Amino acid sequence: MIGVLLALAVAPVVTVPAAAHHVGTYTPKDNAVTTNFKQVKFSVQAKKFDVALRLFETGALRATMRAQAATLPPGLEDGTRAALSAGAGAEVERLLMLFFVALARDLALEAERQLAASTASVEARTAMGQKFLEAIWRYYNLVDFAVSMRDSKTSAAVRLAFDEAEGYIRGTAAPAALNPCAGAKPAVGRAAPDPAKLCEPLRRIAQVLSTLIEAASTPARRNS
Amino acid sequence: MSRPIADRAGPTDPATAWRLPPRWVLLVAVLLIACAEVGGASMARFKVELTRWARSVALDRPAVHGLVGVRDVDERILDEMLVKFDAGLRLFHMHAEGMGLVILATTTVAATLVRAAGARRALILLLTAGGAGYPLGYLVWSWLIPYHGIERGKAIAEWLVWIPFGGAAIAALWGLAIVVAARVAGR
Repeated sequence: MIGVLLALAVAPVVTVPAAAHHVGTYTPKDNAVTTNFKQVKFSVQAKKFDVALRLFETGALRATMRAQAATLPPGLEDGTRAALSAGAGAEVERLLMLFFVALARDLALEAERQLAASTASVEARTAMGQKFLEAIWRYYNLVDFAVSMRDSKTSAAVRLAFDEAEGYIRGTAAPAALNPCAGAKPAVGRAAPDPAKLCEPLRRIAQVLSTLIEAASTPARRNS
Repeated sequence: MSRPIADRAGPTDPATAWRLPPRWVLLVAVLLIACAEVGGASMARFKVELTRWARSVALDRPAVHGLVGVRDVDERILDEMLVKFDAGLRLFHMHAEGMGLVILATTTVAATLVRAAGARRALILLLTAGGAGYPLGYLVWSWLIPYHGIERGKAIAEWLVWIPFGGAAIAALWGLAIVVAARVAGR
């Protein structure tokens, strides 16, 4: 009996405890800015411009536009309010696209700066890079469709750079976007994460988005 | 040590009567359930204070949590940390309630069906200590999260609490299952 008890007591210890011990999963939520964007967007799509204007006036979009006015394209707040008042859906879409593209660009610049300056361990820099990429994608993903409708090459360039950056974080030898049919790479063939190489795709993301901001700062230009 | 449950109700057959586990076991089980209820009530009553405390401790340790000083990045890290902190408290509340009842049930079975005094004492001790200690791991994990991060806190709680106490409870339950199976086969 004692032998059996000892064997049973040891069994859980020799298994992998962290993997076996389930403590729930975390599902990221929208933040105040992305929530307010979706409210405004759906109101505009439903042609409820009065509702969209009220949501914009009282929401986090306008507050963030004001708080970050120094780094954003000029006239975003006034332009968005005017477009909502005039019921100009396409203009609202363009201005909100500019807003989120500018936020994503600023995050890419900050990520590049912090990664270049960091002397932390590879693991810490990898985690930092991962968090920045998630934040960039959270904003860019909201307007990727609008970007691709306006400038499909820019959309493709951002996606390629993003995939390359993720490849360096996850340790895959080639970016998934270069070979989308390849599926997940086996763990055996994976390279180690290389956050030092992240700066290059981040710089490219920032450059491409800056060019887009300059080009899209005047209304109505579509190339596709 | 163990007494037939039906003692005070009238004469009964000692061979078929359920026997109570020792009183200290009952006390541990009831205390565990009481702690679970207090924990659940405290989570609701002090939710804001607990969140503020966890957030402030985490903000004092940016390197531990990978905070980078950019709101758009940090808010998600802190949100995940607070969700897990809250999950740990909830899991303590639920596991403590459940394990209190598990202790009562399994030690009653052990007191009734295990004939050898040494094995009975060992099983009751393991069931009680394991069952009462295991839920505390969730409380420890929650407390460790702001100081050490989600994964590091989890690893510490695992090796300090979940593995030893959970292992003791699992081993005792298997031992009890073997005894019950032997009694079923040998009746």
